[in-house]
Amino acid sequence: MKFLYINFVIVLCLTAITTFALGIFVLIRNRHNIVNKTFAFYSFSISWWGFSEIWGIACDKRLTALIWTRIEQVGVFFIPTFFIHFVISLLNIKDKKWLLRVAYSFSIIFAILCSTPLMIADSVPKRTVPYVKHFGTSGSAYYFAILFFVILSIYGLSKLYNAYRLSYGARKNQLKYLFWSSLSGYVGGAANFLLVYGINVPILNPFGTYALPIYIAIVAYAISRYRLMDVNVALTRTGIFVAVYTLILGFPFVIAVRAKGWLIDKFGASWWMLPLGLMGVLATVGPFIYIYLQRRAEDRLLREQRRYQESLKQASIGMTRIRNLRKLLDLITHIVTKTVRISYAAIYLYSEEADEYVLQISRDKDRTPISKLSSDNPLLAWLTLKREPLIYEEVKRQMEDTNDAAYRQLEENMRFLTASVIIPSFLEDRFMGFFVLGDKISGQIYTVDDLNVFQVLASQAALAIENAQFYEEAKEMQEQIAQAEKMATIGTMADGLSHQINNRFYALSLITGDTIDTIKTTDTSKCTPEVKEMIEQINHALQRIQSNVTQGGEVVRGLLKYSRKGDAGFEALDLNSLLDNTLEMVQYKVKLSEINIIRDFPKNIPKIKGNMAQLEEAFFNFVDNAYDAIVERRRLLKEKGYRGKITISARPKNNNLEIIVEDNGMGIKFANHEKIFTPFFTTKATSRKGTGLGLYVIRRIITDMHKGKIAFESEYKAGTRFILELPIAQ
Amino acid sequence: MPKLLIVDDETDVREFAASFFRKRKIDVITASSGEEALGIVKQQKSDLVLLDIRMTGIDGIETLKRIKELDKNAKVIMITGRKPEEEASFDRCRELGAIDYIHKPLELDELEKMVLKELLNN
Repeated sequence: MKFLYINFVIVLCLTAITTFALGIFVLIRNRHNIVNKTFAFYSFSISWWGFSEIWGIACDKRLTALIWTRIEQVGVFFIPTFFIHFVISLLNIKDKKWLLRVAYSFSIIFAILCSTPLMIADSVPKRTVPYVKHFGTSGSAYYFAILFFVILSIYGLSKLYNAYRLSYGARKNQLKYLFWSSLSGYVGGAANFLLVYGINVPILNPFGTYALPIYIAIVAYAISRYRLMDVNVALTRTGIFVAVYTLILGFPFVIAVRAKGWLIDKFGASWWMLPLGLMGVLATVGPFIYIYLQRRAEDRLLREQRRYQESLKQASIGMTRIRNLRKLLDLITHIVTKTVRISYAAIYLYSEEADEYVLQISRDKDRTPISKLSSDNPLLAWLTLKREPLIYEEVKRQMEDTNDAAYRQLEENMRFLTASVIIPSFLEDRFMGFFVLGDKISGQIYTVDDLNVFQVLASQAALAIENAQFYEEAKEMQEQIAQAEKMATIGTMADGLSHQINNRFYALSLITGDTIDTIKTTDTSKCTPEVKEMIEQINHALQRIQSNVTQGGEVVRGLLKYSRKGDAGFEALDLNSLLDNTLEMVQYKVKLSEINIIRDFPKNIPKIKGNMAQLEEAFFNFVDNAYDAIVERRRLLKEKGYRGKITISARPKNNNLEIIVEDNGMGIKFANHEKIFTPFFTTKATSRKGTGLGLYVIRRIITDMHKGKIAFESEYKAGTRFILELPIAQ
Repeated sequence: MPKLLIVDDETDVREFAASFFRKRKIDVITASSGEEALGIVKQQKSDLVLLDIRMTGIDGIETLKRIKELDKNAKVIMITGRKPEEEASFDRCRELGAIDYIHKPLELDELEKMVLKELLNN
């Protein structure tokens, strides 16, 4: 009997303390959220009941016991009302204000009636509940109160059950054990009503009451960690918590009750010091025991998860050593998909040139992933702002709950990406890119710990990616420098070579010239017709040599000019001479006779401050590209009377000279507009395949070297227009 | 007979240029280097000198300078293989007293015109 009594007191204590503490805890987490508020009051009402019930059953004096029992009932009648209020706000059920008003009215009426014998008639020792000192007996209105309690409880539970059945994913998981724990909590707690009528169900009374603190702990966990959670973990944590604190509270209590006589013998009046001291010691050790047990239990429960979390951590450390970006990205997706067993994984990285997040790699069987996202996409704006993983289930639930346009956009974008989770990758403040993860193959949900590990992985990956990108850029730079050096060497060589070649040509022109001269000045009148014919042929051949030598000399001159180093200083340049020089160069590549070149600007146009060699190169590329576009249009469209035209117009604009280079060639397809300045991008037909460097070089020369501006407009099948701004020479 | 001195390190250039002008009743002397040219200038006076800028040994500019030191009134036409506008060297030649320049390669009649003009002005 004594054991049952102690047990009952302990469970009531535990219930009163846990529910009160968790109520406070949830309230502190978010005081303004109605869910948290209603839950807190729900908890407090249970705590009220538990606390006053202790005195109700443990008081020696009958009158005191009666008063406590009546006070206790006040709490009891608020439990179901707060419960349905909590459920209604949790599930966001609309139009139930009237129901709440009715429920609160009843609770208040019943609470008032508690001060009369209508509710609790008396408090007496009960034969059926022998282990308590007193227990209440019901008054005539008590049936109604119980009916009210049962109806509201069933209403709340059924709402939970329905919501659970209709939900999906993580939410389903959450509601599932919210429902089951509520149900067991109600069965366990409501069994106490039976005691009033002298019905004592073995085990359920009084052990069923243990379901209450466990239940409340689970619900608190569920709503405070609104994020995804694992039932096993939550149950184990609360189970261990309840067990440890039962021990801490219970053990000294058992000693106090069972060994009271012996203790009084030993220690006299201050016998209670021992159990109290013991409780103090246990309460100090308690948290450590709790943490230890929890860790052990979770190691077992989450062995699989811990395993891959560990290997992810290991992998993320090793990543920074990989210098090849492609290999690195491949490794990351491999690690993620294989160790965590995810159906789909993709990585998007920021591309500065296009201001987009571009798909770098994806692992999946049968879908074509979105290849890029513009950086002003709301999804990316959100990630930049929040710097936290996005979970599809949560976003979708938020969208349904709040009907917020922001969530709708997020949901839509995540759906397009087929993402269950998106993990942003930040390096300091730079949003480098993001990982898209599909569902786990096991069908399990992503836990908070998973997300933590992924975030570590993502930030390590950001570092590693930065490393690899830097390394590759450096390598590319090296190659470019090597290339430039080679070009410079060729340039220097061309300089010397051209001298040599010119000397040869000079000698050749003198030889042929002199010989022609000899033929001219020699009297051949006495020669036979055959010899005359032969001399005439030799003369013709020599003239051809002469003419070829002259042309060869021109070629060498062009080469010399082209190889000239472009690092000379800036000077005031005349647009006309710039174009002259350009056309002189370009004529070796482009048939200028096929097109019209129109200079549409006044003779006295202001001079440009620039570097002649660089601008010549830029304009060389403009004309070269325009010519190719014109040839392309001629070839593809076969228009009658079409003639290529390149117009160069210019006018001063603030401190700049605005120069427009316009052609009536093939134009650029809209889809390619963004790419044209990207190095190695070319649309030129294979017959005259370009290197894809022309516009890249132009942009570097115009914007980087000359601090000018470049923009373009183009219409497919109509032509292209480049609009430049170059500084005017002062 | 007007006297023309051709200074060039190319045998072919000397041979054929000489042959060309000799047919035009011009007394042609050739030198294969700046040093040789200076030796000739010291001994005899030429009416015109055709002087290549780029030569092994002392180059055309240096040779020009020394010729002018020896004979202030010497008429020298420079022969260059490079583009004039980047040739600061030709400005230098003009300062030193060269009367004109022609650049390689060239048509013989162009050379003829220039040479005859100078020689007949005598």
